[in-house]
Amino acid sequence: MSEHDRTQLGAYALGALEPAEVQEVDEHLATCAECRDELAELAQMKDFLGEVPPEAFLEGPPEGGDLLLQRTLREVRELSPEPASAPAPAKRRSRRWLLVAAAVVVVAGALGGGVVLGRQTAPQADEPAAGYKEVTATDTTTGTTMAATVEPRVGWSWVRVSIKGLKAGAECEMLVTDSTGKSWVAGSWVVSAKAAREGSAFGGGVLVPLDQVRSVEIKTIQGQHVVTATV
Amino acid sequence: MATATEILRWIPAIAKGGESPIVRTVGDYPGPDAAETLIRALYAEHGRSLLAYATRLTGDRAAAEDVVQETLVRAWKHADDLAQGRGSVRGWLLTVARNIVTDRARARAARPAEVADVVDRPPVEGDHSESVVNKMVVLEALDKVSAEHREVLVQLYYRGRSVAEAAKELGVPPGTVKSRSYYALRALRAVIAGPSVLAPEKGEVTR
Repeated sequence: MSEHDRTQLGAYALGALEPAEVQEVDEHLATCAECRDELAELAQMKDFLGEVPPEAFLEGPPEGGDLLLQRTLREVRELSPEPASAPAPAKRRSRRWLLVAAAVVVVAGALGGGVVLGRQTAPQADEPAAGYKEVTATDTTTGTTMAATVEPRVGWSWVRVSIKGLKAGAECEMLVTDSTGKSWVAGSWVVSAKAAREGSAFGGGVLVPLDQVRSVEIKTIQGQHVVTATV
Repeated sequence: MATATEILRWIPAIAKGGESPIVRTVGDYPGPDAAETLIRALYAEHGRSLLAYATRLTGDRAAAEDVVQETLVRAWKHADDLAQGRGSVRGWLLTVARNIVTDRARARAARPAEVADVVDRPPVEGDHSESVVNKMVVLEALDKVSAEHREVLVQLYYRGRSVAEAAKELGVPPGTVKSRSYYALRALRAVIAGPSVLAPEKGEVTR
């Protein structure tokens, strides 16, 4: 490089030239003050680049699931004040805030709708899911009456029972039998005094599709049969 | 698709509307939906970059995840800083992550040595606080130069490639890589020297 070839200087400053090329540039720089000044400016830019870590050029979310995201969201939710505890003079503000929230929800939709969708697909507490089955049974020996609702889920079922005639303090478990005769525990609970008087409500899930649910049985933990409803 | 930066810009723009001279942001009114949306957007855009950086600084994936979590929570608390559009969002996040790592290392150093400290760990980069603005300024400047210029700098400087390797990667002749890297550094200088970026009185990172 006997004459000015400034376009070599960028790669030179960044240390990306081959040794032979470096030598050529060095030889030229030794004789050319103009190029030395230019190089000094470029080297300053290289120092600036050094302020930024190479990881700054990675894109997207971390690999390996979003547990970290969920943890962060939980912390933010815990730190968020409840809307009810907002200061009183903030009426106008909170309306404005609603606007912001509304705008942001629109954005959430554009981002994939995770927030809103997630909530809508959560199991609802009150109405049974479409396609549910409802059965009732009375056990003449124990005098217990049960109404059971079996709701379909994707590959599993949600069972809700409402029972009258249980004794206060009884420790009960709910068993679901599938079409192969296998028994699944769908949860256990203790009957309160109020539930003994007014009726006991309980719910639990089992990994049995709705069409394979054959019966719902209530037993005590001690193994005593209480009532069975055939689905 | 809206980026985190766009979300941050909208928030004060919408919230400002009324008589208050103070720009209201997510940090002031942490409604759960807005907070979630912001965190999700930041995570989707910058999560990988942040976690990789924090992992290198801490040498420990679990510790790095804690750092990222705290960084995102601070971003939410200080959304107004971010929303002012000074410096790049990513630069802000990386700077905060780095500060958290440094603070934790200092806190550890102040305590008697623990068994865990004996484990080999790469040293935390020297802490010179004047680089706080620079990291954001440089990243913003890199955002402003053309994609071709940015690409060639990333290849040659950040990925440490030779001219020949970068030429192959970018699909251009080696001569083009050389001239492009020269003009990229010139362009970077022009942007950094420009009036918009170097305004040192603001853009400080809240710790």
